[in-house]
Amino acid sequence: MSQTLSFWAEYLPKLLSGLVISLEVTGAALAIGIPLGLVAALLVQSKSRSVRWTTLAIVEIGRGAPALILLQFAYFGLPSSGLQLSSMGSAIAALSWTTCAYTSEIIRAGLQAVPRGQNEAAMTLGLSRLDALRFVIVPQGMRVAAPALLGFAILMLQASALCFSIALPELLSRANLIGTTTFRYMEILMLAALLYAAICIPATILVAVIERRLGQHTA
Amino acid sequence: MERTAEARPIVEVKGLGKSFGAHKVLAGVDFSMRVGEVVAIIGPSGSGKSTLLRCLNQLEQHDEGSIEICGIQMRADTPIPRKDMNALRRSTGMVFQSFNLFPHMTVLRNISLPQERALGRSRAEADERSRALLDRVGLGSKADQYPARCSGGQQQRIAIARALALDPKIILFDEPTSALDPEIGLEVLAVMQELAEGGMSMIVVTHEMHFAETVSDRVILMADGKILEEGPSSEVMRNPKSPRAQQFLHAVMNR
Repeated sequence: MSQTLSFWAEYLPKLLSGLVISLEVTGAALAIGIPLGLVAALLVQSKSRSVRWTTLAIVEIGRGAPALILLQFAYFGLPSSGLQLSSMGSAIAALSWTTCAYTSEIIRAGLQAVPRGQNEAAMTLGLSRLDALRFVIVPQGMRVAAPALLGFAILMLQASALCFSIALPELLSRANLIGTTTFRYMEILMLAALLYAAICIPATILVAVIERRLGQHTA
Repeated sequence: MERTAEARPIVEVKGLGKSFGAHKVLAGVDFSMRVGEVVAIIGPSGSGKSTLLRCLNQLEQHDEGSIEICGIQMRADTPIPRKDMNALRRSTGMVFQSFNLFPHMTVLRNISLPQERALGRSRAEADERSRALLDRVGLGSKADQYPARCSGGQQQRIAIARALALDPKIILFDEPTSALDPEIGLEVLAVMQELAEGGMSMIVVTHEMHFAETVSDRVILMADGKILEEGPSSEVMRNPKSPRAQQFLHAVMNR
């Protein structure tokens, strides 16, 4: 036991710097992907058929293809078409796409949960369509979507472990690397798992608290 | 109820028809009203009262006939230009059965935001107007609360203040008291009566027979998508001519 603890103490700094990279990738993917998801949720309701179908294609490919394939595509596939991305760049691009695709459906459901009377009231009060979305529909729809979005954010942190397949030195790759040099896979992977849990479990509790808070002013 | 309504028409509806799929909700509706008049529309459920009201401000698009409201022409066969639609929404206000306040904004923001966005008033101007209107409907102290903290009657009075803030030429009320228990409904009706006395043009779809008889100048009785009777309130309510109207009024007046 004390052996394990001293092994953990020795390698913890390396794993922590990997965790920071995991959090950076996840944060960037969410910061880019969720706004795009909102845009996609609005565009799939567009009156123009070509806009609707293009958006639908982007969303369905993003949801249909495993994140692992999107990652490999961005890192190994794009260079053959002349676009060379770093492992960080490809990770952010691929995971943003996944995030956009999944959150667009979460947000669309949230927007549809806003009662129709809200839009009718906005229209009879002379708000433009854009103003109605901006001030009335989107704020309420995002409140409905928030718990599911936060839950998705936690899943994305876990999915960021897939980036180890494109040589991004995030938490899992670090653990794996340490395993190959020390052959103490069991212990180092356990520590990596503990670090993921140390983020995810408090985050889950935070989601529950925020969920309660957001319910406050709903009719 | 002897208010001198101006002779100028504010609403003129001719041959109005509306179907939902195969179901004809309105058929050949004609009516007009003058500036300053208060018209109550009564009738059994499903008679097309609300649909008629919603066609007037184009929450529903009509399929037949023409509507002229506040000088804006709307024919069923021609799309309405955006400019006219904006003008329509600016000159008509609407109060809904379910209030439809914005739950994520304070009462004050509910009333001020549309003034800022639709009329271009500054935040200070809008807030000043909002507070004056809240005082007028007896809710000055609720400005900084959220709608969920207000009773149904209070929410409906706030909704009326919100509509008034845009200085509409006519206000459409779609069963404004139907979601309220009768006692609470009275406080809303009192505000509406005050508006009527102040000369506001109003169309009120309602099941409140007392309000229809005493506050409105005219009553329109609808059934099956048609206007069955219309005329001065007490005449329609006390001496209906057609058997269908007699049957309806007998049912609702003797309870």
